[in-house]
Amino acid sequence: MAGIDTGGGHGGKRPINQEIPLIPFIDFLLCLVSFLLITAVWSQMARINADARVPGPPRPEEEPQEEKKDKILHIEMKGDTKFTLVWKEGSTVVNTIDVERKPVPVGSEGEFIYPDLAKKISEEWNQNGSHRAATDTKIDQAVLHTDNSTMFQDIIAVIDALYTPKRDFRIGADTRSVPAFNVTFSVN
Amino acid sequence: MSSGKALSRFHQPIAVPGRRLLASIPLGFVRNKVGGGGHKSVNHEIPLIPFIDFLLCIVLFLLASFSASGELPIDKNVQLPSAVNADSMVDAPMVAITGTQILVDGIPAGSTRAIEEANRLQKIDELFNILKNKRDLWTQVNPNKPFGGVCVLQVDRRVSALVVKSVFQTAAYAGYPNVSFMVKKRATEGSGG
Repeated sequence: MAGIDTGGGHGGKRPINQEIPLIPFIDFLLCLVSFLLITAVWSQMARINADARVPGPPRPEEEPQEEKKDKILHIEMKGDTKFTLVWKEGSTVVNTIDVERKPVPVGSEGEFIYPDLAKKISEEWNQNGSHRAATDTKIDQAVLHTDNSTMFQDIIAVIDALYTPKRDFRIGADTRSVPAFNVTFSVN
Repeated sequence: MSSGKALSRFHQPIAVPGRRLLASIPLGFVRNKVGGGGHKSVNHEIPLIPFIDFLLCIVLFLLASFSASGELPIDKNVQLPSAVNADSMVDAPMVAITGTQILVDGIPAGSTRAIEEANRLQKIDELFNILKNKRDLWTQVNPNKPFGGVCVLQVDRRVSALVVKSVFQTAAYAGYPNVSFMVKKRATEGSGG
């Protein structure tokens, strides 16, 4: 197969030629490739973001600045039959929409999504969102109200639906697609 | 004599010519036999060296693109929820809720039992202290950089919102307002069952 020929071995000397074991080497490389491919396919960990605007300011060492009150979308998931979307400007309720709670199963692990809620949230943001321009550096705020007994996978399904509407966000010359809402939790 | 000895050490570069088939003599069948019988040779040499080069290129590419998220320590008992609209992982303190235990980068940082028994939102002192210490350490090591305040919560999908909100609130109090939830990335929006 493959070898290193040093040209020795004449005159009664022991030859110092070496054969490189190519077949085990190729087997090893194939194993390595398989391992890396498998781990690349099956490790799909990601994160879904949330922002703790409630109950305190994001930077405790800085004083919170007085800001113009934007419309904030409150999502109440306290009942078993419906979600309530409430647009509020400060403490004033601007609009209230009920969305039927229709979980759609996904995969085989008992997970589900809320496509109707995602669709309604997208429509609502297109109509009432305050920060839709690509040059706007602010992002619309959404507050999630849950029962204490709500399961975490339910919360993630709703946050996933909330992150469905996307908008362009320009930073310098670069434009990126980012979620239209920034989500936080209500402590009440 | 001496020149003959010197030559015998090597292969003879010039040999005495043997018998040759003259081209003028019409013995085509002999010529065919010598040249492989007129058939295409079925032996093949596998080009091993380019093959190994190719494999090495694949290995190097896969190693270079190997995501750090593949090395994240995930408890086998934790069943993560999945989401479509998720970002890639970041390097940040990992707060895991496994059963009744709360861990920060594998170090025990309190229990969820007290929260469940009290049935109300509350600050977890042990978790608060560990996260605050991590924040202080980071600001000491990087005095000129702004602190990102990012931490990642690794929560089982069956954990109640009360526990999640308590951990979330404690992290915010400890100076980590940008909390992310660890999820499994789902490629496309499923349509059902």
